[in-house]
Amino acid sequence: MNVVITPGMLGQVVISGILSGALYAMVALGLALIFGVMRVINIAHGPFLMLGAYATFVLHQALGLDPYLTLPASMLLLFALGALLQRTLVFRVVDAPELSSLLLTFGISISLVNLAQLGFTSDLRAIEYITGSWPLGPFALSKARTIAFGVALALTGAAFLVLGRTRLGKAIRATSQNRDVALACGINVQGIHLLTFGFAAALAGAGGTLLSVIVAIQPDMGQIWTFKSFLVIVLGGAGNYPGALVGGLLLGLIEQLSSLFLTAQLSEVIAYLLLVVVLLVRPTGLLGGRQV
Amino acid sequence: MSRRAGFLAALAAAAALLAVYPSVASGYGVRAGLQLFMWIALAGSWNIISGLTGYVSFGHVAFFGAGAYAAGILVVKSGWPWLPASLAGGVAACLLALVIGYPCLRLKGPYFAIAMLGLNEVVRALVSYFEGLTGGGNGLSLPTLDAAIPVYYVMGLTAAAVVALTYFVITSRFGLRLMTIREDEVAAEAMGIDTARHKLYAFLLSAVGPGIAGGLAARDQGYIEPVSVFPLATTITMIVMVLFGGKGTVWGPVLGAVVLFVFQELVWARFIYLHQLFFGAIIIAVVLLMPRGVLGLLQIRYRLPRTI
Amino acid sequence: MSPALEVEGLHTHFGGVSAVDGVSLVLEPGRIYGLIGPNGSGKTTLFNCITGVERRDAGRVAFNGQRIDGLKPWQIARKGIGRTFQVIRVFPELSALENLLVVTRGSRVAARERALELLTFVRLEGLRDEYAGNLSYGQQKLVEFVRVLMRDPSLILLDEPAAGVNRTLLQDLLDAVRRLRDRGKTILLVEHDMKVVMGLCETVFVLDHGEKIAEGPPGTIQTDERVIEAYFGR
Repeated sequence: MNVVITPGMLGQVVISGILSGALYAMVALGLALIFGVMRVINIAHGPFLMLGAYATFVLHQALGLDPYLTLPASMLLLFALGALLQRTLVFRVVDAPELSSLLLTFGISISLVNLAQLGFTSDLRAIEYITGSWPLGPFALSKARTIAFGVALALTGAAFLVLGRTRLGKAIRATSQNRDVALACGINVQGIHLLTFGFAAALAGAGGTLLSVIVAIQPDMGQIWTFKSFLVIVLGGAGNYPGALVGGLLLGLIEQLSSLFLTAQLSEVIAYLLLVVVLLVRPTGLLGGRQV
Repeated sequence: MSRRAGFLAALAAAAALLAVYPSVASGYGVRAGLQLFMWIALAGSWNIISGLTGYVSFGHVAFFGAGAYAAGILVVKSGWPWLPASLAGGVAACLLALVIGYPCLRLKGPYFAIAMLGLNEVVRALVSYFEGLTGGGNGLSLPTLDAAIPVYYVMGLTAAAVVALTYFVITSRFGLRLMTIREDEVAAEAMGIDTARHKLYAFLLSAVGPGIAGGLAARDQGYIEPVSVFPLATTITMIVMVLFGGKGTVWGPVLGAVVLFVFQELVWARFIYLHQLFFGAIIIAVVLLMPRGVLGLLQIRYRLPRTI
Repeated sequence: MSPALEVEGLHTHFGGVSAVDGVSLVLEPGRIYGLIGPNGSGKTTLFNCITGVERRDAGRVAFNGQRIDGLKPWQIARKGIGRTFQVIRVFPELSALENLLVVTRGSRVAARERALELLTFVRLEGLRDEYAGNLSYGQQKLVEFVRVLMRDPSLILLDEPAAGVNRTLLQDLLDAVRRLRDRGKTILLVEHDMKVVMGLCETVFVLDHGEKIAEGPPGTIQTDERVIEAYFGR
């Protein structure tokens, strides 16, 4: 490839990477919470995101609502779904071998995707809402992605505030570290599990809402997000919540940078290779976390 | 002793019936038989890695697709006959398993599962990338040949080979060691078992069957494209068959393959859109209610030998 | 003759806590050693570091003069170190006999003979085909104990071998440990049962908060001020 790469291109790509990084981080934080608190590997995380996107689509179509205004609704809906799934199915495998939770969430995942196919067909949907970019010096900031960045940052920031400053947050962190001790301290671990799963689903749903104006909506759209969320956690360290932020940013940057040098198809391969390499070289994550 | 003789006699009778079947069955019937054998080979192979070691391989269809493409390319570009090409498909799948497995199996279970989740997409992306060789999105067409009956027999032999392989593994100390990985990997390592190597061997063994089956399926269909040989649905079906029939047993995957294949044939036509939902529901139900599957449950309840 | 085991300046930590903080000890071959200390003092973690199950941050471990730190657990096991676990780790869905067979290589017939011998020694030969997960706590403990012996290790680490074992069988077990010592094996055991430690061990190490605070014959340790303080003080 004889393309000259200018600093301008590099700068643009770095900005794009940061913008997408925040979104990755927010969605991955949900997954990290589920794993940290319950040691469950939620393969259905991507489908949660997909359902959030569809929720926005439906509300936008049916009620003419501004897609961004549907955010509370989609988050609430996914919270309810997550809580329901946790209360009926997931709680049964919290103590079982990891194989069980993997398979269970896998079963939930394919069921959700099929339900979406039934409800919405596999046709691609799109929301034409906000296009174009804001200029920033020599660079262009895609409007939709910048808003997504802002909202993701806000939500992630709020999540960390809750985790760090509130009693609920402390309870969540305590349960993540040592469930039995948390129980002994009078923490309602069952309730924490329920809340965490619901909240994580809500974060994924929010991601879906933000994505709905950026990419095409289809039942399959979540699969790759499950994988990428895991990648973010691996990069940042399992059980290390702030690590999700760093991991998300890193993933965003690496993806965008590699798109400069490789075709789009190969950048997926890059993500995969990155996962394998990091797992081999530093399985506790770049920032250090619990070993699975 | 006589129970064993009786069992072997039944097996021989079944084999004889299956051998005679193509001469009385319709074209559709032969195809159906061929597909059933394919599922037995796939499910049985998945069982060898995931049923015995507990390491869930979510991307196993990648080996099927790799075998299909390897065989297809050899037939189309190098004029190989389909039988050796299919066997080469098995070898190709094995090589892929080596490349993937060597790094990934050093990881613990959940990380391995995640890595396998992405494998499918990556292999599909690679197939698209190497368009010149694979025909990319346009697919690869094999020269027309009605080989349904010979493929039926070879696929049948492949299925039988996978079942036999499972039997020999489960009755050996190698198989016992694989099971310890599932039971308690830390303790297994502390007892001197090189778990990474054992997992790799199991993984390699589990890739050969799908590789050959892929090559045979390519010949049977006459046409391969990424979407048809790398569908997630194939992995899902494999998993459901083994979970239902009984993971870690010899005949569990066979039982699961037969039951679910029949179910699929009956339900498919009518409820094609509910397929994944049904399978998802079955997975959930099995994991919660019957984690060992039908034969696994019977094995524990009635103290049956491990070779069931 | 080099010591059976040499641990020098071993450090490891979890999160912000030092689990093992600069522990050094030397085991001479053919003797029985005890490792005691209050709960959470790092005894099992020390075992885990020696056997490669836990990663150490600093320090060296040498077995028969050869460095083994950094090796994988299975490599260390194959060099001749065997261990049992504080929380029993038999393979529940393998039979008692299979639990023993699975750790061996080489002739299956010889392995089976040896396995049956060992099972008979702990009076479990009648339960040899029972799933290990179905055995009682004490029986599982015994299976774990003889499983360690299958590979004939020269250094044996026992993590609370007496817990849950009935008194009669305990005597047999302790006799077995003495006989292993007489055959030249080195044994290091973690125990809370002081009678066992006093009666069996020639030298005792005491850990507290990850540090070694005392070392010596059982009689001396019993009256050591720091030890008493660690257990009863504060």
